[in-house]
Amino acid sequence: MKKAGPIILMVAPVAIILIGLFLMPQFYLFRQSISLPPPVGIDTYLQFFSERFYLDMLGRTFLVAGLVTLICILCGFPLALWLARIETRFVPLLLLITTFPLLVSAVVRSFAWMVLFFRNGLLSQTMAATGLVSPGFQFMGTTAGVVIALGQVMLPLMIITLYSVLRTIDRDLENAAMNLGASPWSTTWLVIVPQMKGGILAGSLLVFSLSVGAFATPSLIGGSRVNMMAIGIQEQALELFDWPFAAAMAMILLAAALIIAVVYGRIISEQSHEPR
Amino acid sequence: MSLVSWRSPFGFALSLVAVLVIAYIIGPLIVIVGSSVGGAGYLSFPPEGFSLQWYSKLIREPLYLNGFLTSLRIASTVTLLSLLIGIPAAYALAYRGFRGASTLVSIFLSPLMLPSLVLAVALTIFFSHWPLTTGNNRLVLAHLIICIPCVLRVTIPAFQRLDPALEEAALNLGATPLKAFLLVTLPVVKSGFAAAGALAFIMSFDEFDMALFLSDPAQMPLTVVLYTKAQLAFDPTLAAAASSLILMMLVLMILVQIVRMLRG
Repeated sequence: MKKAGPIILMVAPVAIILIGLFLMPQFYLFRQSISLPPPVGIDTYLQFFSERFYLDMLGRTFLVAGLVTLICILCGFPLALWLARIETRFVPLLLLITTFPLLVSAVVRSFAWMVLFFRNGLLSQTMAATGLVSPGFQFMGTTAGVVIALGQVMLPLMIITLYSVLRTIDRDLENAAMNLGASPWSTTWLVIVPQMKGGILAGSLLVFSLSVGAFATPSLIGGSRVNMMAIGIQEQALELFDWPFAAAMAMILLAAALIIAVVYGRIISEQSHEPR
Repeated sequence: MSLVSWRSPFGFALSLVAVLVIAYIIGPLIVIVGSSVGGAGYLSFPPEGFSLQWYSKLIREPLYLNGFLTSLRIASTVTLLSLLIGIPAAYALAYRGFRGASTLVSIFLSPLMLPSLVLAVALTIFFSHWPLTTGNNRLVLAHLIICIPCVLRVTIPAFQRLDPALEEAALNLGATPLKAFLLVTLPVVKSGFAAAGALAFIMSFDEFDMALFLSDPAQMPLTVVLYTKAQLAFDPTLAAAASSLILMMLVLMILVQIVRMLRG
């Protein structure tokens, strides 16, 4: 019935497109990054790793991605737990509300934060009124602003991941703990959280790797005042036209993203093989 | 006894945190829609008065409308091509006798793991060596790299849920493979196709990183228009444009839900 011939024919277009437009461009990216001094050299990488400015840039990118991941865990877990365990018929509606922002472009979502973050914006005014920040403070162009906005952009992804895991874990365990007299706090800590480790790790990997490479939100909220890799790559390429250096920075970002994915993948698979 | 009960301090604290987090997620979108209908000459929230002045300015600005139409054109082309290329591949990859299919699938999904900015830089360099095509067609090709994997991710499970005995029965009863596909397989998996198409469309329409690098400067997609405008000055017209997009996606989502409810 189904032979190898038709199967190859059906899969071939995808394979050709991915080889031609995904693998080949990455080869050219690598080739461009090692083009100085001509014909082949690694000046771009030497420059990147010898200058404090660029090392700070790499560090700040990881710091932002780490803080965003932390926000997503701290905000995402309580909301996902609440959505998965509350008994109301509004849960589907609440889920739609929490995931709706995913349909809206990150550019548009960052605009919303710009309105709040400007000097006369609602958030800056409220915070100045409560004395948290000095009057005239604004989040635009600060690392804190980027973290707050990017956290909101990434949060729905974490919630989807955690919610789907929370729906599948066995509720008998937590009911048993509660019936035996455990408080809801200790039930959450000792029964639910240990079963959620895999889900939290998977969600964190997703959020972290997307945050490391995020460009629209850091660029609109932080701009060149927040020293992040994605902003640096865009500046080198589209403003300074230093394509070899932009390519080298892109390769470094790529390598960082891949290393994180591999390390995380290993942790996740160890988690799932751990005997209970 | 339930974990989340309003009467227990834990349930109350959890509900409070949950409401605050929902406000964090959705609040900014409400703020921008609210401030776009303000009557003052500048952006403010809560809005001072009510007026649609920024919307009438938005309609009179051809740059936004052109950007919208360009994005619509690009996203429709990308959706059509992703479905045409992705669905046959998904059908083959979901076939149980296909050894190595799962390895191939994870290779095919790998573009989704990489930062799209890196893909954008790589493709720009690639196209400068191999000028395969020009203008926004380059962006269409770029979007295919992320939209085809999305189509695969949605349609492979849809095909896998299908009972292979159904199709075999049709073939044994004398249907041609094409007829069996159209009359037996397609009705079962078509909602998967619709979901894949919607996802591909939204991904392409919302995409910004690759659009910034690869789009035709004379015909910029909407996200690039918005970004470029915001770099100059953030005026209330931008808030009106952003709000229009938010409302458009809201209407789309509600329509999808209505269709889903009507189907039961």
